Amino acid sequence: MSALQFDLKGRPDQRLDLSALVPAQLAGLSRKEIEGLAIGTTREKLTVGDAFKVKGKDAEQLRFVGTDDRCDKIGTGLAGGEIVVDGNAGAYLGAGMKQGRIEVAGSCGALTAASMSGGHIAVRRNVGDQACGVAIGDTMGMKGGFVTIGGNAGALLGERMRRGLVVVGGDAGDYAGGRMIAGTLLLKRKVGRYAGYGCRRGSLIFMEKPRHILPTFADCGVMEFDYLRLLETWLRGQGLRIGLGGRARRFMGDMAVLGKGEMLILAR
Amino acid sequence: MPELKVKGITIVETFAEAFPMVGTRIIITAPTAEWAEISAVTMTGFATSVIACGAEAGIERRLSKKETPDGRPGVAVLLFTMDADKLQKQLRNRVGQCVLTSPGSACFAGLEGEKKKLKLGASLRFFGDGWQMSKVVGGRRYWRIPVMDGEFLCEDKTGLTKKAVGGGNLLVLGKSHRAVLAACTRAVKAIAEVPDVITPFPGGIVRSGSKVGSKYKGQIASTNDAYCPSLKGAVKTDLPLGVEAVMEIVIDGLSADAISEAMYAGIHAIAKSGAREGVTHITAGNYGGNLGPHHFHLKEIVG
Repeated sequence: MSALQFDLKGRPDQRLDLSALVPAQLAGLSRKEIEGLAIGTTREKLTVGDAFKVKGKDAEQLRFVGTDDRCDKIGTGLAGGEIVVDGNAGAYLGAGMKQGRIEVAGSCGALTAASMSGGHIAVRRNVGDQACGVAIGDTMGMKGGFVTIGGNAGALLGERMRRGLVVVGGDAGDYAGGRMIAGTLLLKRKVGRYAGYGCRRGSLIFMEKPRHILPTFADCGVMEFDYLRLLETWLRGQGLRIGLGGRARRFMGDMAVLGKGEMLILAR
Repeated sequence: MPELKVKGITIVETFAEAFPMVGTRIIITAPTAEWAEISAVTMTGFATSVIACGAEAGIERRLSKKETPDGRPGVAVLLFTMDADKLQKQLRNRVGQCVLTSPGSACFAGLEGEKKKLKLGASLRFFGDGWQMSKVVGGRRYWRIPVMDGEFLCEDKTGLTKKAVGGGNLLVLGKSHRAVLAACTRAVKAIAEVPDVITPFPGGIVRSGSKVGSKYKGQIASTNDAYCPSLKGAVKTDLPLGVEAVMEIVIDGLSADAISEAMYAGIHAIAKSGAREGVTHITAGNYGGNLGPHHFHLKEIVG
């Protein structure tokens, strides 16, 4: 059975709320019923059929084609199945996601993977601010799962993150890992100011030495970390070849709060 | 019925009687294969028999860098006891005293097993005195415990199986001590190639097989006089007059099938040089079939 596909007919004149287009809600619906689902966010009524050409049948595999930054909440609360986005996505992609997989060929807006608790999100290009951070109305950021970002991430990446792993291939903005509770951020390139601000626990792994390290992070020196080898081996199993080695300089912090978090700056 | 022989060695028509056990596997890694081995050998020391050691343990096999979770050389260790509570205690004490203490070591689960799990890092983490860190990688929890040479990385839990079997055995009879020792050494090497089993005694061989009970009060096991060559003329012996030495290979495994496979490998390794070497009989120990539910009939295994 072919994937259920949504081809965007043209740039919509309002932002779209696509949170209803997840496998759990589409299962058992006919094409006509799907096309009648409301996705508008203004007083002007807009349905799936107005904005998308729908084809295919398998509601466990969804495919969005030609979407742009006005397509919000793709895969929000996803509890299983697979979503492929052949285009860009707006805000809240995969927010509150519990299980399953989302792949995005382009870039995503703010709050990507916010407060997600499981599953895997792979974004090939950039993500906006507050990715893996706190969804509106929630108390914690990402609570589990695995996110890979091929490009850059905006500010407040992993804010109040509780668990999970985020890998950023490009640069990350200011306040990466801000007020982090636990979990791991692996940052392959540059990072902005105030990384780890208010971090209680959790790990920020830097492949490049950050230009600014908060004075409330205490230097513990260079040593061996078998955890890095474990992570490297696991990432390789996921198809990501990232050479972490086993040595890193450890900074513990943020000493302004609990101080049991860490920055691991890889030692080459 | 004609006597069953393999390369001139008589296979006695009897069976090995074995018992249900609870077992687990852990993986120990270290900066070098030598240090992984040292850690594993220490952890499996004094673990030949549950009678007095509390557990039966041994090295299952060496693991290459490609086979371990952290990409370092490792060793797979099997540990067996009679029930899950004893296994938990033995695991905690042995990993805590022998692996945690070993330079550069890390410890991982080696068995998915049943729903019930055994605590590994989940109990050892308290050694970190509050500085330990929990990390979840790929849905599995690990503990990073600060120690003097860096960190001890230990997986939170490991699996256990209640389908393990202990006490699979082969008794090897021969015309000389040298011949029996050579044949048994070969058998232990062959059994080491079989997955899911260990031979927990020194070098895999037992020279002091026991019987249940004793003439002395409080002695729960005593020498198996029916198999002592020096007593042939004095007791109801099971040995032909020409037999000069008997050695036993005890096998513990994660399943009954694994024991059968190991016994098959062992018998054929013993018989490899034929009767000319000096081995005369291969038999097995049992208690009449009334104590252990697992009966490994030599004839079926060889067949």
